[in-house]
Amino acid sequence: MKGIAGRRWAWCWVFCAGLAWGNDTQQHVKDPVTGAETWAAESGGVFLSLTQILPDQLRAFYVNRGLTLDQIEPFATSCVFMTVLRNDSAPGPIHFRRADWRVRLDGKDRALTPTDKWLTALRRQGVEPPGLIAFRWAQFPREQTYRPGGDWNQGMLSVGLEPGQSFDLMASWRVEGVAAGNERGKLILKGVRCAD
Amino acid sequence: MQIRYLSLVLLLWIFSGAAVAQGLPPLSHSLTPMDPPIPAPPLSLPNLDEDKVALSDFGGKVVVVNFWATWCPPCRREMGSLERLHQATAASGVEVLGVNVGEDSDTIFSFLGTIDPSPTFPMLLDAEAETVDRWGVRGLPTTYVIDREGKVRYRAVGGREFDHPQILEAIRALAK
Repeated sequence: MKGIAGRRWAWCWVFCAGLAWGNDTQQHVKDPVTGAETWAAESGGVFLSLTQILPDQLRAFYVNRGLTLDQIEPFATSCVFMTVLRNDSAPGPIHFRRADWRVRLDGKDRALTPTDKWLTALRRQGVEPPGLIAFRWAQFPREQTYRPGGDWNQGMLSVGLEPGQSFDLMASWRVEGVAAGNERGKLILKGVRCAD
Repeated sequence: MQIRYLSLVLLLWIFSGAAVAQGLPPLSHSLTPMDPPIPAPPLSLPNLDEDKVALSDFGGKVVVVNFWATWCPPCRREMGSLERLHQATAASGVEVLGVNVGEDSDTIFSFLGTIDPSPTFPMLLDAEAETVDRWGVRGLPTTYVIDREGKVRYRAVGGREFDHPQILEAIRALAK
């Protein structure tokens, strides 16, 4: 019960603090039950959060979808986050492509691991279509348009780093229907850490 | 302790309830209009009894089409509110269709038994995940509201509280 109450508070503060304290205020909370950490921030009416998914949670999820432990192990240990992006009150629809997002590690920028790369590897390992469908649709979208008023997604995002590594995530999007020069939006989550 | 209590009251007031109480990201309360409305893509899939159901079967009605999966957390959370929407609007000529992406009927049956209220609207099986692609869905859940002329009038990307007054009002207005 204490754990549930703790989780309530964690999420309450992640979401509410972003709204109350305005742009680019980064929040960091730790789930008292699972130990999973969340980093969250808001900018220009757009909310972004990354929550660690522990490798064991990923193994259990995909074994339940028909994959073997061997098949899912590379993904489970690739630094995966439950990602939420939400357009609460941007001045227009936002459009993002995950391929535009970058991970900054030790001063160097790198792209995120594309979902197609994982799907190709899983297909080669003989994963059946239902498992591939579940894998693909459980990932954070490759690209998406969110209209203001609360369009959002929640999905898995593989960063492709080692357990315990820290990095900055640079997320970006285009705001539609605004004056030229104001159409680019971005948010940086700093000091995000891969689950051990 | 007093500050913590007052803070909780404030937070619950802001987000009014269920999502925050469960410690999860809040579900949205609004539908986003499609401007201009576009014709709904074809949809014809088997239901849980393996009978074909087509969107065209509901011509002249408002249809809410919800793409979902049992493993998708916001899909699970919004499912009860879809049933409440169904119950609140069925008499007004509104149909709700659930389209499950890539799962078998046993998995779906097991899941539906855990939802309160358990969905009574048709559940269709997009076993190969082809229809979901044809509709241009990029993430689950995604929901479309089709008007009586067969055009998509609203879209909702991500979880919603479908029995929220704002959403009920928008859907009822289409059915008039």
